[in-house]
Amino acid sequence: MKQQMDKNSIDTRILEELCDAVGRENVFDDIEERVCYSFDATKERSLPDLVIKPHSTEHVSNIVSIANKNSIPICPRGAGTGLSGGSVPIRGGIVLDLKNMDRIIELNARDLTVTVEPGVVTKDLQNEAAKHKLFYPPDPGSARFSTIGGNVAECSGGATGMKYGVTRDYVLALEIVLPDGSIINTGRKTLKSVAGYDLTRFFVGSEGTLGIYTKITLKLLPMPEKLGTIVSYFDDFHDALNTSDSIQIKNRILPRSLEFMDAACLASLKEGLKAAIPEGAKSLLLIDVDGNEKNVTNTIAKIEDICRENNALKCEVAKTAEEREVLWEMIRSVPSSLFKIATMKFNDDFCVPRSKVKDILEKVYGLSRAASVKVAAFGHIGEGHINLNVMYDDGSDKEHSAHTFVSEVLKEVVSIGGTITSEHGVGDAKAEYVKLELTAQEIELMQKLKKLFDPKGIMNPGKIFV
Amino acid sequence: MSNDWKNEVSKCSKCGKCHTVCPVFLETHDESAVARGRISLAEALKDKQIGYTEKLRDYVYSCKKCMRCRKVCPSDVDYEKIISALLRGVAENMGIPLLPKIIFRYILPRRILFDTLLKVSSKIQRFIPMKKRGQMRHLPLLFMGKRWIPTLAGKTALQKFRKTRKVENPRMRVGLFTGCLINYIYVDIAEAVVDVLNKMGIEVVIPQRQLCCGTPSSTMGDVKSSKRLAEENRKVFESLELDAIVSACATCTKSIKNDYMHILGPSWKNMSDKIYDISEFIDKFIGDMPGVKPIGEKVTYHDPCHLLWVRDISEEPRNILKKSSRFVDMDMADACCGGGGIFTIIHYDLTLKMLERKVDSIQRSGADTVATNCPGCVMQIADGLAGRNSNIKTTHSIQILQEALKNGETKK
Repeated sequence: MKQQMDKNSIDTRILEELCDAVGRENVFDDIEERVCYSFDATKERSLPDLVIKPHSTEHVSNIVSIANKNSIPICPRGAGTGLSGGSVPIRGGIVLDLKNMDRIIELNARDLTVTVEPGVVTKDLQNEAAKHKLFYPPDPGSARFSTIGGNVAECSGGATGMKYGVTRDYVLALEIVLPDGSIINTGRKTLKSVAGYDLTRFFVGSEGTLGIYTKITLKLLPMPEKLGTIVSYFDDFHDALNTSDSIQIKNRILPRSLEFMDAACLASLKEGLKAAIPEGAKSLLLIDVDGNEKNVTNTIAKIEDICRENNALKCEVAKTAEEREVLWEMIRSVPSSLFKIATMKFNDDFCVPRSKVKDILEKVYGLSRAASVKVAAFGHIGEGHINLNVMYDDGSDKEHSAHTFVSEVLKEVVSIGGTITSEHGVGDAKAEYVKLELTAQEIELMQKLKKLFDPKGIMNPGKIFV
Repeated sequence: MSNDWKNEVSKCSKCGKCHTVCPVFLETHDESAVARGRISLAEALKDKQIGYTEKLRDYVYSCKKCMRCRKVCPSDVDYEKIISALLRGVAENMGIPLLPKIIFRYILPRRILFDTLLKVSSKIQRFIPMKKRGQMRHLPLLFMGKRWIPTLAGKTALQKFRKTRKVENPRMRVGLFTGCLINYIYVDIAEAVVDVLNKMGIEVVIPQRQLCCGTPSSTMGDVKSSKRLAEENRKVFESLELDAIVSACATCTKSIKNDYMHILGPSWKNMSDKIYDISEFIDKFIGDMPGVKPIGEKVTYHDPCHLLWVRDISEEPRNILKKSSRFVDMDMADACCGGGGIFTIIHYDLTLKMLERKVDSIQRSGADTVATNCPGCVMQIADGLAGRNSNIKTTHSIQILQEALKNGETKK
């Protein structure tokens, strides 16, 4: 905890001004409310001075202007489900809770676009699109409770990434409140546009450090006709990786998802969430294929053969939507079930070129044995993406060794051409590692850009850059 | 109760999955209204960052204790331990409001006093105007105004079944835990349980000295009263040699089967194992029911939170309804009806929103009758339907079975 005091430090005059601007009922300065908005899914905690719950772009603009005038930090927050501390107000100030801006403004089934407010829960958007037989592909593990605003801010990916890409590939246009309170619109509701620099892309994944999205226009796709799912278990992770290679490279199949889980993840699963995991299973692959009916059936059969060729202990094809859900629920629950191993975790979602996955995993397991660090790895392995979790107990001396270990791993990741974060963002949790990947000149350039948009540095300070 | 709630607090990964199921959060979007937020408050209390304040009490009381969050939690956090500790802390540090305290400590443990007070109310209710289909607008004891609440029964279930109805060579002898709502208002439900089980060759004993299950007092953190009630009920039921104990109230079943394990400890295990929801009992011990002839009405089913999310019971009551009626499922059958003790009183506006949604689903289903397995839900839903002048009836699933059995007899 970076702040312990229960008294907030915002001047009464400013508080009154904020209340006038957005309505007293939307401004909270009591300690209880502030505690409820002091964290995200990293378990890191830091008290804000105020929590404000705007209902409109105008509200956001008013709040930001007042904050800017008085140099008060602003930390935008969707559902607070991030994994890098992005919505933790580490410098105090205002937490801007955008959950009440949750309207789906327009779904245009002929243009294949949808315009939403940032507080819309991703799954609700996916469901709305599905009503029109349309498809919003990005599917982070938290899709049922995270918000589109948060997804755009962190450029979330998810299980469909290998075939469909990540959030940035679907953001066409943004309405943004800048730190001075002014409102700009970037991009168009068209698939193509090269008029000027691509500000939209610049803002996607900016982690709330540049401005606040108040409207987001997204691209939609036609819903694939059929979805097939197969799970396979292996007693050696090398077999799972060889299977992944064989599917994509040798057999030129592009699945919708190709997920991996190692032995530590499998062991941590809550009893009720375990599908029928065979004895001796030390890794799992969960594979989704979509397309037309005939193709999907054939491809799943082909993948089953490939799994068996690579010594799968067991393969199981989901026959119903419910069976599919059981399998996916296993994957989605891993990040939380890992707390069975220890009370604290440090998570890094690195990504390496596909051909380097085996090398990096061998390195990770080798280093963890040498350093006696508990690790668990899972991820969208088809893209070379691995969620590495280092587990340690709260208050133990292991926290330091966990960070040293991660640092070692990330150096290796960068040296083989990978990135330190795929889709969770840097936040403050990984800020110290940014310099491993970016040069001093690149960091300086980024900081100059940040300063151009946010000269007083009020937007989510302490994130991305140390 | 020990300090194990603190361990549960540290198990929470703050992932936010409880957002997806919490009926209160889905209405308010407030972090303080969902398990994750309240767990962070518990954490702050543990670290002495906050103390017991009115605001904290409001946030703690805004929990419906439906336990959906516990069911979906990937970290296996026992939220019930945390919310119970918070409620107890609020009660110990801030006291319990006077009226509930009088009720929990002095009235609920005394059956005759409770009877007398309610009897007086049932006489007075005759003079209150504006009756609507057996419901009336009034304000008895704990309830708020502006609501259509059923009238109190002239004779309670306990009084009505003072003598056990004899069954020739019974195959089983079971006890009925009536619970307050069935005892004082929905005596018909108790009658249906006795009728149905008797017809299946099962003798039903309704112990006369049984008391309130203790849920209302534990909801206010009054551990002392809950313990006293649990101990009294233990004496009553342990003294009888029963093959099983059934209840037709989802909340009472949760209380005496699950909560008493915490209150009374492991020695309650043998009794707890013998406690069943009425539909669960029928499914387990009776199965096929000869003589049932489905009634012509279309019946839908509402899942009470405490039956579905705590006990995982959803198929059993539906199986009963499928055999006894033209069953139709409704969409969002598992959505909360908004009922539930203190919550209904403090957050009347939210209760209404949930109720409106529930009534919408019921009306969309095209059913003539909505059945459920909890008298609390019956009361809440009947209130919502009466408010819309709907002709859809609200009942307990055991009453549909009772009718179907009657139907079978007359059409033989």
